[in-house]
Amino acid sequence: MKTTLKVNGTDHVLDVEPRRVLADVLRDDLGLTGTHLGCEHGVCGACSILMDGEPIRSCLVLAVQADGRSLRTVEGLTGPDGEPHPLQRAFSAEHALQCGFCTPGFLMVAAGAMDADPDLADHPEAMDHVVGSNICRCTGYGPIRRAVERAAQERRTA
Amino acid sequence: MEKWARREDERLLSGKGRYVADIHVPGCLDAAFVRSKVAHGVLRAVDCTAARDVPGVVGAWSAADLPDLPPVPYTLLAGLSTEEAVAGREWSALVKDRVRYPGEALAVVLGEDRYRAEDGVAEVTATIDPLPAVVTPSAALKDSVRLFDGMSNVVLRGEAGEPVDPAVWEGAAAVVEATYRQQLLMPSPMECRTVLAVPDGDRLTVWSGHQMPHRLRRELAALLGWSADRIRVVVPDTGGAFGSKSAAFPEFVAVAHLAVKLGRPVRWIEDRLESMLVATRGRGQDQRVRLAADADGRLLAYELSIDADVGAYPHLGAGLPMQTAWMAAGAYTTPHVHATLRSVLTNTMVTYPYRGAGRPEAAIAIERTMDLLARRLGMDPVELRRRNFIPPDAFPYETPVGRVYDSGNYAAALDLALETLDHDRWRAEQARRRTDPDALPLGIGISCYVERSGGEAGGLHEFGSLQVTEDGRITARCGAAPSGQGHETVFPALVAKFLGVPEAQVRLIEGDTDEQPEGLGSFASRSAQVDGALFQHLANLLIEEARTRAAGLWELPVDQVAWTDGSVHTAHNGSALMDLGELVKHTGPLRIEDRFETGQAFPFGAHAAVTEVDPDLGLVNILQLVTVDDCGVILNPAVVRGQAYGSALQGIGQALYEGMQFDDDGVPHVASGFLDYLLPTFTEVPPIEAKDTHTPSPNSPLGAKGAGESGCIGTPAAIANAVADALPAVDPELLQMPLTPDRILRALRASTHEEDVR
Repeated sequence: MKTTLKVNGTDHVLDVEPRRVLADVLRDDLGLTGTHLGCEHGVCGACSILMDGEPIRSCLVLAVQADGRSLRTVEGLTGPDGEPHPLQRAFSAEHALQCGFCTPGFLMVAAGAMDADPDLADHPEAMDHVVGSNICRCTGYGPIRRAVERAAQERRTA
Repeated sequence: MEKWARREDERLLSGKGRYVADIHVPGCLDAAFVRSKVAHGVLRAVDCTAARDVPGVVGAWSAADLPDLPPVPYTLLAGLSTEEAVAGREWSALVKDRVRYPGEALAVVLGEDRYRAEDGVAEVTATIDPLPAVVTPSAALKDSVRLFDGMSNVVLRGEAGEPVDPAVWEGAAAVVEATYRQQLLMPSPMECRTVLAVPDGDRLTVWSGHQMPHRLRRELAALLGWSADRIRVVVPDTGGAFGSKSAAFPEFVAVAHLAVKLGRPVRWIEDRLESMLVATRGRGQDQRVRLAADADGRLLAYELSIDADVGAYPHLGAGLPMQTAWMAAGAYTTPHVHATLRSVLTNTMVTYPYRGAGRPEAAIAIERTMDLLARRLGMDPVELRRRNFIPPDAFPYETPVGRVYDSGNYAAALDLALETLDHDRWRAEQARRRTDPDALPLGIGISCYVERSGGEAGGLHEFGSLQVTEDGRITARCGAAPSGQGHETVFPALVAKFLGVPEAQVRLIEGDTDEQPEGLGSFASRSAQVDGALFQHLANLLIEEARTRAAGLWELPVDQVAWTDGSVHTAHNGSALMDLGELVKHTGPLRIEDRFETGQAFPFGAHAAVTEVDPDLGLVNILQLVTVDDCGVILNPAVVRGQAYGSALQGIGQALYEGMQFDDDGVPHVASGFLDYLLPTFTEVPPIEAKDTHTPSPNSPLGAKGAGESGCIGTPAAIANAVADALPAVDPELLQMPLTPDRILRALRASTHEEDVR
C-alpha cells in the first residue's frame, strides 16, 4: 500500500504491507533504528515518537495510519547545525541514561511536552506525567526527571 | 564542562546506538518459535508441514526434523550447576518428548522477516498430553509429579557451616522462627534477548546483547564441534542485562545451528511476551529461619533452610542458592550459623542470576529475622544490630558459613543512614501517629547487608591489554562486556590517570572476541574491582616496558630512566624527554597483555525506609528511603550513584510490586505483559537519598569493591521491616513480598480475625 511518511522533515514514499506497524517501518524500511521496541504493546514507551507533534507509541500505530503525517524521531532531535537538543545535553549531564535502550522514547515524549508547553518548567506535575509515561529499568527515573526539568528551564531562558 | 558526561552518551542520545536488532545484514532470516501453551506435558507430535508452504517462510523444524540439533549447554562456572545435578536431565533446544515449562520451544520457523516467521508459527500444529504442573518448591518436593521420570525433583543438596547443637537453642533467652517466600522475579532489561549469527566462510560471527562473550563463544564452538577461533562473538550496545544475559539459551542454540546448516544469516530478536514466558527468572526460594539470642540481645545461633525453585532444568542456577547459604551470616558475629538447601525442579523457566543473585535472599532472610528478634526481646532494632556487628578491627573475618569478609565498617554505614533519614524525628512522628486515630500507621525499617563481589574462586581474574600506536594513542582492551555501566568512560579515564596522559588519548575496546581473545565478562559486580585492577596492573607493566625501552635507546641503566605524565625521561635532569608515541616510533609496536586476579570483596551498607500503610486500601506508601552503600574505592561517583539509585528502585519492585503469578495449571499470568507484571514507574519513586561510605578492599590493589547490585540486596528488607513496624498487630509471617494491596488487606483481615477470636 502506497504510503507517504514525512519523517524528520523528509518525505518518504513507501510501498507498505498494511499490517506492518510504524516502528518496524521506521526501523527496517527507513533505517531509523533509534526508535526501539521494548514491549510491543504500548506500555513501556521505548518506541515513542511524535506524530504531528503528539507523542505516540509507534508499536501501536500501523504505518499506513501515518500516511501523510509528519513524524519526528530521535534522529530528528539534533538541530540542523548539529547542535544537540537541550534534552540531549540535559540527559547526559544528569546521567539520565545508562544502557540507553529506553532513552529515545523518553526524549521524544519530553520533546513533545516541551514543544506543547513552553512553560513546562513551571508545571512540575506535567513533568511528572512525562517521566511517568515510560519505563526505564536502569536509572530509577530520578535523573530523568531532573534532566527534563533542566532542559525545560534552559528552553525557557533561551 | 564537556558536552557529554559519558562517551556513550552522544550516540545513545541521538539514535546512533547500535543494539543487535539495529544491525542490518542483507538476506538475514528472522527466527520465531512455536511455544508450548502448557506448563507440563508429553509431546506426541509436531507438524510443521503447513508452515513450510507459507509465503516468506524459508523453513520450519521440530526436534524430529533436526536430529543433529545439540542440547543446551550448561556451565559449572561459579557453581551454577553441578555434573551430578545435570546428569540424565538434558535440556533440548527444541522439545523432543516432554514439555517441562510453559513456552518451551516446540519448533522453530525461519522467515524473510519476523512477520513471515510468525505467519509460519501460526500454521504449526502440536499435540501435547498435559500433565499436572508444579510451580513451587514445596509442591515439587513431594515428588508426586516428577519432571524426569524415575528421578527426584531434588537435583542438589547443599550446606554451609555446621549444624547447631540443640543445647544452644534450648539455652537461649529468645528464639524466633519464620518462613519467607522470595518470589520469582523477572529481570526485565528493556532490551530482551538477542542473537544474530552470520556465517562467513568457515567462520561464524555471532552478535548478541550479552555479558560473557567468551563463554558464549566457547559454548557455541562446543555445540557446533568447532574450534573456538572459528567463532567471533561481538557484543554491541546492550540494553540492560541485570544478570540475565550470560548464557547460551535454547533459542541461541537453534539459531547458530540453523545459520550454519543453511549458510545464511539468522537472528532471533526476543519480543516482550516471549521474554515474560521464557526468559530466566531470579530469586525463587522458600526459606525457613531460626535465630537465637541471649537476654542481652547477643546472637547465639542462626539457621537458614532453603528450598530453591531452580526451574525445569538444573543446567542454570541449580547451584545459585549456595550463594545464599554462603552469605547467611550477614553482618553479625553470630558464633553458630548453619545453612542448608535443596534445589528443586519446577515447571517454570529456569531460575538464574538476577541483580543480587543469591545475596538478596540471604540479606532479606537475616534482616527480617533481626527485626523479629528485636520485637521478641523488646529491643530497638538499631541497638540489636549494633550489639552484634562484626567490628571494624575484626577483618579479615571468617564467618561460620565459610566466607572471609575482607573489610567493613558496618556501624558507620548504619550511622550515616540513620542520620540521613533523621531517624529520631520519624520515631517521634510514629509515636504521635499511634495516639492519633485518624493518622495512617507509620513504620521505620532498616536493613544492614553484606554482599560478595568479583565472583567465585577460579573466576576472579580477567584478561586485557594496553596497546600504544605511533601517534601516542592508547587502546585498552579487556574481557568485560557492559550493558549500561559506562565502561567506555570509566576505564579510559582510569588508564589515563595511571599513565598520566589526557583521557582523550585512551580508548576502550570490549565485547569482541577477535579483539580480545580471552576474557570472562561482566557479572557479579566484578568489572570495576577486577578489570579496574587489571588496568592498573597493565599500566604499571607498560611504564616498566617504556622505561626499559628508553634505557636501551639511551644506553642508560633502567633505574636512571623515569616516567612522568606519559613520558620517559632521564631521572637526574629530565633531559631526553620522549613521549609514548615517539618511543613507539623509535622502538617498534608496543602491546602489553596480561591476566590479573583479585580476591573476593564484600561490599556492604545500610538501607533505611519509612513507610505508611493505608489500612483501607492496603497501599504501602514509602515516605523516605535512604541507601548507604560501601563499595570501597569509587572509580566514578556519578556512575556508581546512578547504579545505586536505579538498583534501589528494583529493590522496591521486589518489596512492593513484582512477582510471577501462575494459574493452577502452571501457566504464568503474563498475557497482558507489563500490565500483568508491574515494574516500578516514576509514579512509584519515593524520595531516595543514595549515599556512600568508603572502606577500601585489601583484596584488590585498587581498593574497589563491586557496585551496582546494592539496592536489590539492601532495600527489600528495609521496606518489609518498615511495613511490619507500621503494623505491629499483624503477624509478620503474613507480610510476604511483594506487599501488594491484596496481601496487606489479607494480612490485616487475618489479624483482626485473630483479635476477634481472642
